[in-house]
Amino acid sequence: MRALASEEPTPTPLERPGRAADAAAADDPGDRPIALELESVTKRYAETTAVDGVSLSVREGEFFTLVGPSGCGKTTTLRLIAGFESPTEGSVRFHGEDVTGTPPEERDVGVVFQNYALFPHMSVGENVAYGLNFADPPGGVSKSGRVRELLELVDLEGMADREPDQLSGGQQQRVAIARALAPGPDVLLLDEPMSALDAQLRERLRVQVRAIQKELGITTVYVTHDQEEALAISDRVSVMRAGAPEQVAPPREIYRRPETRFVAEFVGDNNVFDGTVRSVEGRGANGRQRAALEVGTETFAVDLQDREVSVGDEVTFCVRPENLRIGAGVNATTAIVASAEFLGETTRVHLEWYGQELLVRTRDPLSGDVTVGFEPEDAHVVAIDRTV
Amino acid sequence: MVRGGTHSANDDGNGLENRSGPVTDRNSARERNGSRTDGGATAPVGTPDSASGESTPPSEPSDRRRGRGIRNRLERRAIALFGLGTLVLLLVLFYYPVATVFVEAIVVEGALTLAVFVELLRDPFYFGDLARLFAGESPLAVAGDLLSSDRRLGVVGFTAYQAALSSLLSVALGVPAAYVLARYEFRGRQTLRSLTVLPFVLPSIMVAVGFVATFGQNGTLNGALGLVGLGPVELMYSLEAVLIAHAFYNAPLVARVTTAAWESVDASAIETARSLGASPFRAFWDIVAPQLYPAVLMGAALTFVFTFGTFPIVLALGGFDLATVEVFVYRLVQDLNYTEAAALAIVELVVSLGVLYGYLRYEANHVVRSRGVRPLARRPLSPPSFSLREVVPRAGIAVYAVIALVVFVSPIVSMLYASVTGPNGLTLDHYRFLLERQQTAAAFQVQPWPAIRNSLLFAAGALALALPMGIVVSVLTTRRYRGRKLVDAVAMAPLAVSGIIVGIGLLRGPVFGIEISGWRFTMAGAVAIVAAHAVSCYPFVVRTVAPGLESVDESLVESARALGASRARALVDVELPLVWPGVVAGAAFVVAISMGEFSSTVILATGTDQYTMPVAIERFIGRRLGPATAMGVVLLVVTSISFVIIDRLGGESFGI
Repeated sequence: MRALASEEPTPTPLERPGRAADAAAADDPGDRPIALELESVTKRYAETTAVDGVSLSVREGEFFTLVGPSGCGKTTTLRLIAGFESPTEGSVRFHGEDVTGTPPEERDVGVVFQNYALFPHMSVGENVAYGLNFADPPGGVSKSGRVRELLELVDLEGMADREPDQLSGGQQQRVAIARALAPGPDVLLLDEPMSALDAQLRERLRVQVRAIQKELGITTVYVTHDQEEALAISDRVSVMRAGAPEQVAPPREIYRRPETRFVAEFVGDNNVFDGTVRSVEGRGANGRQRAALEVGTETFAVDLQDREVSVGDEVTFCVRPENLRIGAGVNATTAIVASAEFLGETTRVHLEWYGQELLVRTRDPLSGDVTVGFEPEDAHVVAIDRTV
Repeated sequence: MVRGGTHSANDDGNGLENRSGPVTDRNSARERNGSRTDGGATAPVGTPDSASGESTPPSEPSDRRRGRGIRNRLERRAIALFGLGTLVLLLVLFYYPVATVFVEAIVVEGALTLAVFVELLRDPFYFGDLARLFAGESPLAVAGDLLSSDRRLGVVGFTAYQAALSSLLSVALGVPAAYVLARYEFRGRQTLRSLTVLPFVLPSIMVAVGFVATFGQNGTLNGALGLVGLGPVELMYSLEAVLIAHAFYNAPLVARVTTAAWESVDASAIETARSLGASPFRAFWDIVAPQLYPAVLMGAALTFVFTFGTFPIVLALGGFDLATVEVFVYRLVQDLNYTEAAALAIVELVVSLGVLYGYLRYEANHVVRSRGVRPLARRPLSPPSFSLREVVPRAGIAVYAVIALVVFVSPIVSMLYASVTGPNGLTLDHYRFLLERQQTAAAFQVQPWPAIRNSLLFAAGALALALPMGIVVSVLTTRRYRGRKLVDAVAMAPLAVSGIIVGIGLLRGPVFGIEISGWRFTMAGAVAIVAAHAVSCYPFVVRTVAPGLESVDESLVESARALGASRARALVDVELPLVWPGVVAGAAFVVAISMGEFSSTVILATGTDQYTMPVAIERFIGRRLGPATAMGVVLLVVTSISFVIIDRLGGESFGI
């Protein structure tokens, strides 16, 4: 999966505010009112702290994704929003209204689980209609009309009389989405909804989920451990680790400008280097400062973007495998090919370099010693540890 | 307006048409919030926020579902309210009465004292030679005497002794059955396996009748021996008869738990051992046996606890010479010596709980939970070849089958046979007697028809109480929260306390009357019997319902709640429909156990006209075996129907 992470990881047109090129710029969620908000929310269990002082806000109509390795607290965060768990500290607000103590049935949420959680003793139609027992269908349609409308929305017309176990996994998950949407909830919460599906189906379904979300303009919080999925589907992504967000940003920014080493390594393939500033050079062609960094026995020129460093600082920077060039003259160094994975479109080559592994993407097979290098602008400074 | 043709996620391969039906969530979301219908309602559908300024967020997003008033609030608390109701019932019907028994044993003439216990412990009548230890004699001297042949056991010692022997016999008869059930394939294996749940529903007094009909002076055994010129043998009123009856009851339990353990042994573990060089016997010893010990031990521990508290079987089969603690408690109650009865009952409870606790400690350290990925293959019962290795085990099984026929089948068959035979051959006189007796009987005598009627009424009442209690407790004990263990312990305590104690407590407390600030409350005897039955039955509802609830995916309940259902509503709409077989099986347990309940009923019904079938059988058994067997057959029919229901619907999910 990681192999597919290309330079343009997201098909969604929404990421950065104010881009004229983006057709959906007018639809930018950045200006919209806040739909839901967590304020310093902590969830402690007997021995562990699952969520540690998380503050987040999601805007109306925004597709917001919580991504991270298992145990990072993303699912617990979702469950706190849904009301299945109550926070040890902090508060949850929907449209500015405190709902911290409100049980899930009185919050206006729709929830979709990884395992679909369809009621096995009810038909597809009965499943979708269940929430309409407690709320009138929005838009004044009849109950059965609403069920038909929703099944149409998820391309399951005419399936209302089927039993859930007669459907495939992907169909069941679409029924679960229709069921969650039927009462017209204010917020849609999806907890790893696709991880039980096979890879191909997962990619198709995520396109559909995103389209439905945009069509309805419904505020959505999505939990996944799959960073590629997170980049592909979201307006904004929160990369979580050990119960707290490491970075919250649009997908492109997460990918291009990771703020921590964890984000740099978790999202997509990356080559992370630790170096010491030897000198700070003048501005390069693009008007930005460059630094000469000593990494092991090599010295690399790195574009500092808008960061300030001084000689002696420890700097962590990363270079994406697609930006490591074979045989390049700038920042060139020699490495040994350790292994290669043929991935179809490209080959991912593992290089051995001073006890560190480097990843590089090539089209042609490599062997023996190779020279690799990178443009100073393609390096991204992740963290600076100032010595003084 | 509506984007189309972009959705290709259709996993059954159908081509996908553009969606035409606009979905109006967003706009209706505005409508339902009422405040702004101007811009929102006329906005084109399907284009979210064409003008984001107009789509000011709904300020009260949860309005729609809130504000349904008191009913909603009650529903939200429904589970808690039912839980509270169950707690109150338990307090009134179980904890308070049982507490009065305990208080009676430690409060004498208004003063707190342990004198009754000390006296009891030092009485050789109860504790035999062990009493001298409590009286302060040297442990060495006592131990020496206990090892000598003329030791005295006392009532408590004898009870423990017979319980230990019963456990041994049950294991000896149960493990071979488990071997056959787990390792051999034959016709009726499933049925036989299901039958192992039968002892839970067979009334013990009925079993006693079956044993009298088999092993009594004129029983079928002596009849059969007489035909071949042997006998007669006198087995009645002997320890052997009691032990065999206990084995009848408990060996199936041992077989049940051992079979389950055996079936969960993974065949590939044995194959691995064999491939590493272990002989078949060695592989069994190293791989299978360690997984069986915990199950066998569990069966033995439960058998010990059950038989330590045995009552109707010893009462009916033991005569006057063999009396267990429970029988003595009953006699003391009849002599109105409640203080000593209570103290003795507490001693019994302490021993039972001690054994259970010891077992649970052991179990906690020896949990083998290998989910049988691939169970051992079963062998055919008829030998595929006549080699020694094939024939010897099967010959052993044949011998076992004969013993099993005598122990497990003959009592039932003898009872059926005795119920239709008289001095002059086949007759229906005994059944006719059940209906005719009341016309001729004097008022103080036990009459059959009221017994049948009472049994049915009490079972219905117990069902009405125990079913909701059991369901509520199941719900409260399957979800995770702080204090769940306490709830579990409080709710399951009735399983550990014998019916006699509950009976005495209800009799001495609510039935005799409770005085609260000048008012005297009394509970009718019939109500007390129903209460005692409900309290002893509802743990079985928990046992059949809770495993089902446990296996209901929690996200189903959470989905229902996110869709707007209260916790109670989710229970009714989602969980109960999914576990209804367990509920029905629990109901069948309640009916069967209530019908067969003897201990508390006999205490509460003595001297009244509230007696039930088991009480009537006990009265008949010494004098007229015929009617006793006929009534035993009636009980057998009722419990068999229950058994079929349990087996069809919930046998597999039953917790033991």
